[in-house]
Amino acid sequence: MEGGVGLATTTQPQQPPPPVVEKLNPKLEKELNLESLKTRALSLFKAVSRILEDFDAYGRTNTTPKWQDILGQYSMVNLELFNIVEEVKKVSNAFVVLPKNVNAVNAGILPVMLSSKLLPEMETDDNAKREQLLQGVQSLPIPMQIERLKARMDMIAAACENAEKVLADTRKAYGFGTRQGPSMLPTMDKGQAAKIQEQENMLRAAVNDGAGTRLPPDQRQITTALPPHLADVLIINEAGKIALPGQSNNFNNQGMMQVSGTQFMGRSAASPSGPNFDNTASPLPYSNSPRATGMVNAPSPQQQIQQQQLQQQQRAKLMQMPQHQQQLLAQQQQLRQTSMQGLGQSQIPALHDLHGQSQQKFQTLHGQHQMSYSQPMAAAHQQFQARQLSGGHIQHSMSQGQLNPAMNRHLNQFSGGANSALFTSAQGSPSSQMIPNMSSMQSQTLVPRMQQFGVSGTNPQRSHSSQMLGDQMFNSSGMMQTQQTQTQQPQQQQQQQQQQQGGYGNMQTNQQSLQPNNMMQNAQQRHQNPPQ
Amino acid sequence: MECVVQGIIETQHVEALEILLQGLCGVQRERLRVHELCLKSGPNLGVVTSDVRLLCDLDQPDPTWTVKHVGGAMRGAGADQISVMVRTMIESKVSKNSLRMFYALGYKLDHELLKVGFAFHFQRTAHISVSVSSVNKMPKVHAIDEAVPVTHGMQIVDVTAPATPENYSEVAAAVSSFCEFLAPLVHLSKPFISTGVVPTAAAAAASLMSDGGGTTL
Repeated sequence: MEGGVGLATTTQPQQPPPPVVEKLNPKLEKELNLESLKTRALSLFKAVSRILEDFDAYGRTNTTPKWQDILGQYSMVNLELFNIVEEVKKVSNAFVVLPKNVNAVNAGILPVMLSSKLLPEMETDDNAKREQLLQGVQSLPIPMQIERLKARMDMIAAACENAEKVLADTRKAYGFGTRQGPSMLPTMDKGQAAKIQEQENMLRAAVNDGAGTRLPPDQRQITTALPPHLADVLIINEAGKIALPGQSNNFNNQGMMQVSGTQFMGRSAASPSGPNFDNTASPLPYSNSPRATGMVNAPSPQQQIQQQQLQQQQRAKLMQMPQHQQQLLAQQQQLRQTSMQGLGQSQIPALHDLHGQSQQKFQTLHGQHQMSYSQPMAAAHQQFQARQLSGGHIQHSMSQGQLNPAMNRHLNQFSGGANSALFTSAQGSPSSQMIPNMSSMQSQTLVPRMQQFGVSGTNPQRSHSSQMLGDQMFNSSGMMQTQQTQTQQPQQQQQQQQQQQGGYGNMQTNQQSLQPNNMMQNAQQRHQNPPQ
Repeated sequence: MECVVQGIIETQHVEALEILLQGLCGVQRERLRVHELCLKSGPNLGVVTSDVRLLCDLDQPDPTWTVKHVGGAMRGAGADQISVMVRTMIESKVSKNSLRMFYALGYKLDHELLKVGFAFHFQRTAHISVSVSSVNKMPKVHAIDEAVPVTHGMQIVDVTAPATPENYSEVAAAVSSFCEFLAPLVHLSKPFISTGVVPTAAAAAASLMSDGGGTTL
């Protein structure tokens, strides 16, 4: 801008300083207020030097400065300087710059610096800008030009004001203006927040757990065409189940197994149990198909039907077994270390079979049955129905008189565990009612054995039995109490009925007192009366 | 072992997040389209069920398979002080026969997911991978084309970095400092802890999406 349009000062009319006395006009002097200016300049100088010292200290001690404080100091210094300069500017009109020292170096540039005319390039720049501004209004008379320009200025001023307002608002929103952080956060209403929270939980659960993405078991068939990356990996057989390539003919094998159940006795290797095992030692489609969720070894309905048929056949056979054979059976069972034989046998062939060694004896005896364990007893528990659980115990009671001494010996050995309860049950008196029970039990127990193969190398019978006893369904184990009382009173008939006596805890306590059989008997008889 | 944090972001802000990540990471984004099959072992395979994830990268012309096992997270007072989750993780590339093999072993399909989105992999003290994807579930087994999002309108942000037991604290620090850069748009936290969305994400997204007002006078 040209020098003519300067600051509108309100200073007093300036009087040229008297040439003789180099003293400023007193009024001007007052205006200048040199004293205060000096103190202000000094304080500014002190503030700046303090800041420099601080930085020095930071640099030496290698600490990070607190930027907020430093920014505060800077702004203070800045403001102070601005004020001082403003003050000086106010009275600068009264003064003219006079070069102190003119010599060859600065003689050339001095006229330029002293002149108030713009430099040539600045001048052209200025002209160009003025051209731009007055573009539209050059042609009009001057007052109109002035008006137009004024209108333009007003518009620009209004736009600037709006922009300032927006900036201030956003500054407030984010707290940028103040150095204390956001003071006000935009909040969502409760409903929206709750919805978002719910969605978030769903999403996180889906990614981390898979919750909400699992299909119900009945929808786990593959019904649509496989995507390309799976098409050559999985083979779907006609039944819509995933088959492993090379095993599509296994489905037929299951049928074979039912029919030729007796052929499987030869297997003695420990293997994961399941009624679906075939001799080829390949994993079964049922067990491994994704469809079979949870029930790994669940036999198919077809198998169950066939097994039941077999069971009926076996039962018929057993009914015809002569008495002495049954006693022999019972005897050998007692001499074994488990007597969990009867527990848990039900119509549905169970995967786990508690018989163990006694069953092996059966095998040698009859040559028809397969003794086996099943490893996943826990899984099989689920399949049990507590229908005829107790029947098995009665088997032990067959050989009452003959085995009492033997049983006592065994009882002493196994008094600690649940097995002992079963041992004592063996001492019960046989009765006419028991025999059919036993045979029925045997049929139940023997038939499933045919289906199972998991003979374990070790002797996990104890653990199995304890597992069994813990199971809810085996509250009927309480019935073992009933049979304990039969130790020396073979004539007791009351324990034939299997009673659920909520038993595990009871059983344990009773077992510990097996030594004094008489005492236990009395106690148990007293126990039994109420439930009956 | 890996350090992992997760967060959620509304779908409308995903583009802004992509711009932010582009600026922060300095690498090109990669498309992400992964079919994740989670297999669980049955009770006949052991007392404790184990689960295994098979990831099939469908983005390539030839799908590549990866097997991944995610273990338990570090627990205790030390773990509480770290802002990321440190957990065991084993990953390996496998052939496409892996699915068959796991079925043959006795594993069963527990659930499957389809993740569609993008990812950035870069190096910043540690090798960090950031992926933003929408999680889809399938109404029918293996029906990828019919996948629908689990939560429409919300996507998941995953920041992971592999670590070893010796250097996991540095990796955790690197991940958490990187996550601070993403704070305007997404809150990141350990996987099972919910965080909510960032309330000012809309404004941040708007500022990221605008051209910045850098016109010259």
